[in-house]
Amino acid sequence: MPREDDEHRPDPDALILAAAREGKGRLKVFLGMAPGVGKTWEMLAAARRKYEAGTDVVVGLVETHGRKETEAQIGDLPVLPRKKILYRGREFEEFDLDAALARRPQLLLLDELAHTNVPGSRHAKRWEDVAELLEAGIDVWTTLNIQHLESLNDAIARITGIRVAETIPDRVLSLASDIELVDLPPAELRARLAEGRVYPPETARRALEGFFREGNLAALREMALRHAAQHVDAAVADYMRAKAIPGPWPAGERVLALIGPDATDAEGVIRYAAKLADVLKAPWIVLHVERPGRLVDLHGPFALAEQLGAEIETVTGNDIVALTLDAALRRNVTQIVIGRGRPPLWRRLTGRTLAQALARRAEAFTVHIVARPVGPVRWLERPPPLPSGPWPWLASAALVALVIFIGIMIPAIPHEAMGMLFLAAVVIGASIYGLRVALFTAVLGFLSWNFFFIPPFYSFAIGDAGHIVTICVFLTVAAITGGMASRVRNEVAAAQNRVQSLHRISGFRRVLDAARTEHELLAELARQGAGIAGKAVVLTTQEGGELTLRAADPAGAALDETAWAAARWAVAHNEPAGSGTSTLPSASWRFLPLSTMQGVQGVLGVAAGEGVAFTEPQLQALTALADIAAVTLERLRLAQEAARSAAQSETQQLRTALLSSLSHDLRTPLTAIRGAAETLRTAWDRLDAATRADLLQSIEQDTARMHRFLANITDMMRLESGQIVPRLAPVQLNEIVEAAIARLEGGLLITVNIPPDVPKVLADPVLLEHVLVNVLDNALKYSPANSLVSVAASRDGKEVAIRVSDEGVGIPPEDLPHIFDSFYRASRGDRVPPGTGLGLAIARGFTEAMGGRISAISPRPDALPGGFPGTVITISLPAAE
Amino acid sequence: MRILIIDDEKQIHRFLRPALEAAGYTIVQAENGAEGLRLAANNAPDLVLLDLGLPDIDGQDVLRKLRSFSDVPVIILSAREQEAEKIAALDNGADDYVEKPFALGELLARMRAALRRKASSGKDAESVRIGDIEVDFLRGEARRNGEVLPLTRREFSLLALLARHSGRVLTHRQLLTALWGPAHTEDIAYLRVYVWQLRRKLGPEAEKILVNEPGVGYRLRIPEE
Repeated sequence: MPREDDEHRPDPDALILAAAREGKGRLKVFLGMAPGVGKTWEMLAAARRKYEAGTDVVVGLVETHGRKETEAQIGDLPVLPRKKILYRGREFEEFDLDAALARRPQLLLLDELAHTNVPGSRHAKRWEDVAELLEAGIDVWTTLNIQHLESLNDAIARITGIRVAETIPDRVLSLASDIELVDLPPAELRARLAEGRVYPPETARRALEGFFREGNLAALREMALRHAAQHVDAAVADYMRAKAIPGPWPAGERVLALIGPDATDAEGVIRYAAKLADVLKAPWIVLHVERPGRLVDLHGPFALAEQLGAEIETVTGNDIVALTLDAALRRNVTQIVIGRGRPPLWRRLTGRTLAQALARRAEAFTVHIVARPVGPVRWLERPPPLPSGPWPWLASAALVALVIFIGIMIPAIPHEAMGMLFLAAVVIGASIYGLRVALFTAVLGFLSWNFFFIPPFYSFAIGDAGHIVTICVFLTVAAITGGMASRVRNEVAAAQNRVQSLHRISGFRRVLDAARTEHELLAELARQGAGIAGKAVVLTTQEGGELTLRAADPAGAALDETAWAAARWAVAHNEPAGSGTSTLPSASWRFLPLSTMQGVQGVLGVAAGEGVAFTEPQLQALTALADIAAVTLERLRLAQEAARSAAQSETQQLRTALLSSLSHDLRTPLTAIRGAAETLRTAWDRLDAATRADLLQSIEQDTARMHRFLANITDMMRLESGQIVPRLAPVQLNEIVEAAIARLEGGLLITVNIPPDVPKVLADPVLLEHVLVNVLDNALKYSPANSLVSVAASRDGKEVAIRVSDEGVGIPPEDLPHIFDSFYRASRGDRVPPGTGLGLAIARGFTEAMGGRISAISPRPDALPGGFPGTVITISLPAAE
Repeated sequence: MRILIIDDEKQIHRFLRPALEAAGYTIVQAENGAEGLRLAANNAPDLVLLDLGLPDIDGQDVLRKLRSFSDVPVIILSAREQEAEKIAALDNGADDYVEKPFALGELLARMRAALRRKASSGKDAESVRIGDIEVDFLRGEARRNGEVLPLTRREFSLLALLARHSGRVLTHRQLLTALWGPAHTEDIAYLRVYVWQLRRKLGPEAEKILVNEPGVGYRLRIPEE
C-alpha cells in the first residue's frame, strides 16, 4: 500500500505506552472460564519449559488444591516458602511478597490473581502484590477466572445466579502484556468434575448442579473468549502503531461501512455491513466522508447505524479513497463495504467510479460493493443455462444463409464487402452462443463466402494466399469473440450467483429469526433444508452428548444405521459426512454440522437423490443455511438459559416479598398485643378506666386479626393441597350475602341489590360466604372512608353473576391480571394496607372449586372522571335449575 | 419530655400513647412521613420513634430529611428483620433500633439511654464509666478497678469510640471508617479480631458490656443504674 514516508512515523502515544512498560516486569495472565480448566497446570508446564531453557523461574505460590497432576507439574521448580500469618488465633499461609522481592527471580509464578490476602498482609488483594512485583521489574505469570473481572460481575451474577465476591478491577487485566486463554469445552470440564479431578466428589456433585451447569459454563466461556480476543486485538493495534507497521493484521475481523459524500445507498450499505459484522462476530464502524462545504442530511442513516450497533466516524476531505484507506488502516479494518452510488456516466466509462478506485487501491482489504436494491427474492433460481441443443447451430447456419441470400440478391456488393458481412455473422454467433458455435459459424461462413462469392464461383478451390489469410482472420475473430462472450457470460452468472446467495442468506436469516422456540427453529430449518434438497432432517445434541432426531420434512423421514453413523461422525468431528463426502459416502444422506464457537449443536441432514450429487449452489445454500441455523440455535439456547435464571430470580423475589409480608402482618398485631398487655400490667394504676378498656379491646381486635390471617393461610394450604371438596346445593343468594356482611367489622356502607327473580345458585354455602367476605373485605380495604360498596346479582344465561363494586383506588392495569395470585399484594412490600395478600387468591380458589369464575374490572365502567376509579369484581356461578 | 411517634399502624399508637404517657412522656403522633417531618420541625420533640415502613415516604428518607435539620435522638421501630435496613438506618443517623414485637421495658430503657446521651453530649467528658471499667480519654488509658488495662493503641481507640457513644449501636461501617479509614469499610474481619482481643482484656464481664449486634455492629452497654 503506497503511502507517504512521514506517515510511517510511529504514533507517539503508543510509544509512550510501550516505554512505560519497559524496565518493568511483564505480566502474563492465564485466563480461564471456570476453576478446573487447567490454568495452573498450563502455567506450570510453560514455566517449566522456560526453566529448562535457563530462565530463573520461582514459584511464588501455587494452589494445587490437592490435584495430583498439578502437583506433579511443579516438578523441580524452586518454590518460595510461604509466609505464616496469625489471624483470629489461626495460622494462615500466604504468599511472601518480601521474600519474593529479595529473591528477585526473572519470572515469578503466582496463582489466583483475584485472591484476597489475609488481613495483616501488606496488601489487601493479591493483584496489588503483583503490581508491586511488576514495578520492581519482575515478570509475573498468574491465573485468573473470567468471573472475577469487575465489569463482568453483574452479568455473571445474572447468568449463574451466583455473585462472585472476589473481583479485580479490569485495568489490572490491561496491565497484562500477554493473555493466554486456557480453554476447555464445557462438556469436558463437567466430565473432569464428575471424575473428581477438580473437587472432592461431594463438592463436585453440588458444583455440577450449581455453578458448573452447562449453560453457565457456555456463557462464561464465551465471555472469556471474547475478552481474550479483545485484548489480543488491542495489543495488536498498539504494537502496529508503535512500530508504524502499515497494513492490517489478520487478527479478528473488523468491518468498515463507507458512506460517501453523496450518501446514496447509505442505508443499504449500513444494513449490509451490519449483517456482515454479525456473521463475522466483528465490530464495525460507519465512516462518513464529507466534502468540505457540502452538507448532506444523514440523520436517518446515522440513527440506523447507531441502532444496529455501529461506531460512527466522520472525516472531511476531497480524496475519498485516501481518507477511507487511512481510516481503515488506523482502525485495523479488514473488510470495507461500499455502495454503488450514482456515478456520472463519464466516470463509469473511464472506470473511475469510487467503487472501482477503491477496489484498485485497497489491496489489503476485502471490498464489498453492495448491490442496488433489486426485485423480489427469487428462490434458488439457477443462472440461465447456456443455450444448448441443435438451435444455436441451426440459428448460426441460418445467419450465414441470410448473408448468402443478401449477397445473391444484391450482386453489386463486392466480394471483399461480403467477407465483412460473413465476419459480422461470426461475431453475432460468437457473442450469443459461445466459442464452439462461433468456430462452426466461422468455418461455415468462410466456406460459403469462398463457394458463392469468390471466383471461381461455386467451388471450394482457394485461389490465392490472400484467402488463406482471410480464413485465419475468420477463425481468430471467432475464437476471440466467442471466448470473450463466454467469459462475460460466466462472470454475469457468477455475479448473479453471489447476489442470489446473499439474498438467500438474508432470506434464511429472516425466516429462522422469526422462530421463537427451539422447536419452531428446528422445524423451519428442516422445511428450508427440504426446500433445497427435497428431504431434510435435523438432529441436535442433548445434554449428555446424545444425538436425537428433532425435526423432519417431510414428516416421518427416517434414517438408517449408516446415516446415523454419518450423523454421529459429523457431530464428533465438526465436518460434513455422508453422501458426497469422504466419510461414509455410501450413506443416502449428507449431514452438515450446526457448529458455532461453542461446539457442534447438532446436524442438518439432507437426502441425496439416487446417484445424483448435490450441485454447487445447493451445497452453498445448505452450508449457509446450516451456519445461520447454528448461530440462531445457539442464541435461542443461551436466551433460554438466561430466561431460566431470570425465572428463578423472580421466584426468589416473590419469596422475599412473602417473607416480608408475613413478618409485617404477623408482627404488627403481635407488637400491639404485647405492648398493650405490658402497658396494662406495668401501668395499671396510672391508666384511667377508658384507656384500660381501649387497650383490652385492642388486644381482642388484634387477636382477631391474627386469627383471620392464620385462617387465610390455612385455607390457602387446604386449597393448594386439594383438600377442599365443595358440597354443592341450591343456595338463596340473599341469605349468604347478608351473612357475609354480618361477618365484616365496623360501620360500613354496603348496599345490596338482588332482585327476587334472580334464581338460586348451585354453590357450597360455607365456601360462598367465605368468597364474599374476602371480596368485600378487599373492596373496603382499598376504599376511602364513607364510600359506597354495592353487591348486585343478575341472571346471565345459565349463570348468575354477583357483582361487588367499590369506589376505591382501583387497580392499575398492569396489576389487573395478577390480583388473584397468592401474595401478589405482597410484592409491593409493606407499604399497603394490612392483609395477607391471600384474600382474593382464596376467593378465586373457592369459586373455581365450586365450578364458577371470578374476574375483575378496573376502573369501573361507570366511574366518574376525576373521581376514584373503583373496581368491580364479578363472581359467576351456575344457576340452580 | 416530648416524644414524636411516626408509625402508620393505628394499633401501635393505641398502646404506645398510654404506655409512654404513663411513663411521664408527652406524646405527639404522626401516621405518615410527611406529617412526621412537619411535626418534628414544629414541635421540637426530645426523641423520635420512627417506623421504617411508611405509606408515603420511605423511612430511610424521612430519617435523612430529619437529620438535615435536627440531631434529635431517633429510635427505629421496625418489623423488618433485614440487617441491611437497620444498618442503613444507623448509618443514616439513627441512634438505636428495636424490633417489633418489642418488649415495652426494653423500649423504655433504650429511650432513657438515648435521652441521657443527648443530655450529656456537648460536655466533653474526660472519662466514662461502664460498670467497673473506666475509660479515660484524657490519659488515653482504660482502668478496671483502678488498674490500667494493657491495651494497644488501636484497641483503646476502639474502646474509646464505643465509650463516647455508649449505649448506642455503632455499625461495622462506622467503626471501620473511624479506626481504619474509608478504604476498609468492608473488612469486618479486622474488627472481629480487635473486638475479640479487647474483650479478652476487659475481663470476665466483657461479653455483657461490649455487646455484639449480629450483622449490624457493636455497642457498649451501660448497666442500668
